[in-house]
Amino acid sequence: MTLFNILFYAIAALIVVSTGLAVTRRNLVHAVIYLIISFFGSAFLFYLFGAPFLAALMVIVYAGAIMILFLFIIMMLRVETPEEQLFPARQMWPAVAVAAGYLVVGALLAAHDPSAGALLSPAQTEPAVFGAYVFRKTWLAVEVTSLLLLVALIGALFIGKRPIHESEE
Amino acid sequence: MTYFAAADLTLTAALAATALPLAAFAVILLLTRGFPRVSAALSISAITVALVCAGALLVRHWHLAAPLEYSTLWMAGGDIVVRVGFLIDPLSLLMLMIVALICFLVQVYSLGYMAGDPGFARYYAFMSLFAWAMMNLTLAQTLLQLYIFWELVGLSSYLLIGFWYEKFSASQAGKKAFVMTRLGDVAFFIGILIVLVNFGNLSIAELNSARAGFLPPAVITVAALLIFGGIIGKSAQFPLLTWLPDAMEGPTPVSALLHSATMVAAGVYLLARLFPFFSLSPAALQVCLTVGAVSMLLSATMAMVSRDIKQVWAYSTISQLGLMIMGLAAGDYVAGVFHLTTHAGFKALLFLCAGVFIHTCGGNDMFEIGRRGGRHLKIPMICMIVAAAALSGIPPFSGFFSKELILAALAGRPNSIWLAAGLLGAFLTTYYTFRLIFIILFPRGEAQAHADGHHSAAGYRVMAAPLIVLAAVTLVLGFGEHAFGRFLRQGFPGPVPVPGHHTWLPFAALGLAAAAVGLAWFEFGRRGAAQVGFVERVAPLRELFSRRWYIDDVYRWLLDNVLYRVFSALCAKNDQKVIDGAVDGLGGAMASAGRILAVLHTGSIQFRLLVVSVVVVLLGLYYFV
Amino acid sequence: MAGIPFGHVLALSGILVALGVACATARRNLIMILLGVEIMLNGAAIAFAAAALRWQQLEGQAFVLFIIAIAAAEVSVGLALIVHLYHRTGSLDPEKFNTLK
Repeated sequence: MTLFNILFYAIAALIVVSTGLAVTRRNLVHAVIYLIISFFGSAFLFYLFGAPFLAALMVIVYAGAIMILFLFIIMMLRVETPEEQLFPARQMWPAVAVAAGYLVVGALLAAHDPSAGALLSPAQTEPAVFGAYVFRKTWLAVEVTSLLLLVALIGALFIGKRPIHESEE
Repeated sequence: MTYFAAADLTLTAALAATALPLAAFAVILLLTRGFPRVSAALSISAITVALVCAGALLVRHWHLAAPLEYSTLWMAGGDIVVRVGFLIDPLSLLMLMIVALICFLVQVYSLGYMAGDPGFARYYAFMSLFAWAMMNLTLAQTLLQLYIFWELVGLSSYLLIGFWYEKFSASQAGKKAFVMTRLGDVAFFIGILIVLVNFGNLSIAELNSARAGFLPPAVITVAALLIFGGIIGKSAQFPLLTWLPDAMEGPTPVSALLHSATMVAAGVYLLARLFPFFSLSPAALQVCLTVGAVSMLLSATMAMVSRDIKQVWAYSTISQLGLMIMGLAAGDYVAGVFHLTTHAGFKALLFLCAGVFIHTCGGNDMFEIGRRGGRHLKIPMICMIVAAAALSGIPPFSGFFSKELILAALAGRPNSIWLAAGLLGAFLTTYYTFRLIFIILFPRGEAQAHADGHHSAAGYRVMAAPLIVLAAVTLVLGFGEHAFGRFLRQGFPGPVPVPGHHTWLPFAALGLAAAAVGLAWFEFGRRGAAQVGFVERVAPLRELFSRRWYIDDVYRWLLDNVLYRVFSALCAKNDQKVIDGAVDGLGGAMASAGRILAVLHTGSIQFRLLVVSVVVVLLGLYYFV
Repeated sequence: MAGIPFGHVLALSGILVALGVACATARRNLIMILLGVEIMLNGAAIAFAAAALRWQQLEGQAFVLFIIAIAAAEVSVGLALIVHLYHRTGSLDPEKFNTLK
């Protein structure tokens, strides 16, 4: 039982528990907070897997920007009235069934695959090396992603505009 | 084929004879419907050329050693070969001549008879169609080709019987004729199929050759009987005989051409054509003999009580066709064909004379014709007496010679019932023929002025000329009996049976004929006679004969109770329940399935997400597990 | 044992995705649907990073980069849509938006 293993299982437990809590909270803000905790755990996991740059990116972008955006919207919309019933039976049981089925299939897949048993040994990637790799090998995807972000920006601007009564489209 | 035609005169003549009327038909129907005179001219010129070609062929091939065949391949598959073409031998040349001559005379006659009719052009178009079909039938080389033209002849018969289609009874009669002959044609076609399957090809010359003898006897008998079924239909023999009297709804020249001389004779022609083939099966010939005898006697009785002049001749045609079939079935090829030839002459003459009477006296009833002074029309009256004498078998007219041949053939049979039937038939024929003659010659009642202002002098002349030609033929043809026989026997495959000589037979027949004339004179002709026949006095017999032995009623009953109640009802049920039910059921099932599947369309976002996840799980299962 | 079996990491990833599916389909709130999508993306990112480590390729890590970028774009547009819908109908209940039944 190396430190690597212990850390992994602990962080994994944290992630699962906090995500489970996030899913089952009635208060939306609480749910988002728990999810932020889960993402912190994810970031640590990335560091464990030898991608420190990605870990930093997770904290900054995912937990730091996206979830904050969620909080902004939740507070702006002032969703005070919680839902009638948190998990209506009509929706819960199918969801549970599908999730269970998914887990079963996933477990079968993982069990049958020969590479599933391979052991992960700790490794580390220099951010500089990673950056060079991205810019050399996947520069096109980066460009496209930037374009996508531009489109999302414009779209969000347009869609989120408060409708003005005198129609001036 | 064109190269062939140019080089060979026979083929050219045959092609010209048969193809020109078709061209006339097409041109008239397409172009000259509105021009009656042009149409008539086209049609008559086509048939004139055909007549000349037929005559030329006959003269050229008077001494024909073996049949000439011109054919091309039409269908071939595996062992089976079907050709089309012309078969030139004495029988076909003779029939071609008969058909061309009678067509020509009748078309000339129609110039006067149908003058002023609004359908004049259409009439000549159908006449040309018939001429084409009939001539191709006579020259047909294979059974399938013959069958096709058989049907075409039936079609033109239907068109011409129902020519005055505004009259309901005429269109009914046309329909009845077509359907009844069709019934026979079904049997004919099945017979053709049996021959095709067993024999490999349908060539008539081959069927008549010794090769056909290798077929199993059962096959030959069955095929012969089925083909004879077609003959029964076309030649109006028992039991399919009631269409011919009804076919008299058509114009009289049509009756003269189709329903006495040529179309109904096509059945007898087919029997003669396949005579060697039929001879291979004595059982089939026995059946033919029986059917011919029954038809002959039955229709003779029906003629005895009829008041309509055309109906009498129609029954007489059935009777004489029965006699021809008896002659052929008894084994004498020449007798049957000779009677066919002479009968064409005098029966057409009888109908044409009747046409003149009908035209001038305005009705079909023979008593009316008599009362309106039909006897004053000299040429028709004399020609009718000539033809009636020929029909009765009185010398020196042609009918005497041909009837003698047939009676001699019947006498040669071991069973003398056939000869008795033949003699009885001859007696009855003479009786009803002269009954009609005497009714017209010696009318009772008021002699009304006959309305002869219906026609012009020119029209009368154009109608009278063919009568004179036919009368001359009737007078002369009998003496050519031996030349006829020699001509016909040339190239005949197989031995020709020569009938025995019975010297007492002509005298017996003549005696019977004289007796019949005397009886008719006693009942109808002499002064003070009541003009009621001995049969007509017996009410049940009169009922029986005038109702055509209830044959029509049997058909009506069969139609109503078997066909309509059983088959039609079944088919209607099937149509409604099974077919409509299946289609409607399919549609209903589709709609129900749609309704069931529509449950999936809830419109809910999360439901759709759920479905996406389910699909992913299933895909994972499918591809990796 | 020396290292973590790769299957265990995939199991973690699977659990996260299952939780994300459950959140997206069983919570009657549009924001929770979006949150579920985010959870699923997170799970996928973990799987990619682990795969990069397993096969010693940097491609997996590059893909995580893109996952994060895409998630950002998608969240922004999604939230804009939710805001728009809230202003139109005043409710965040997905059952209210089933006029395409």
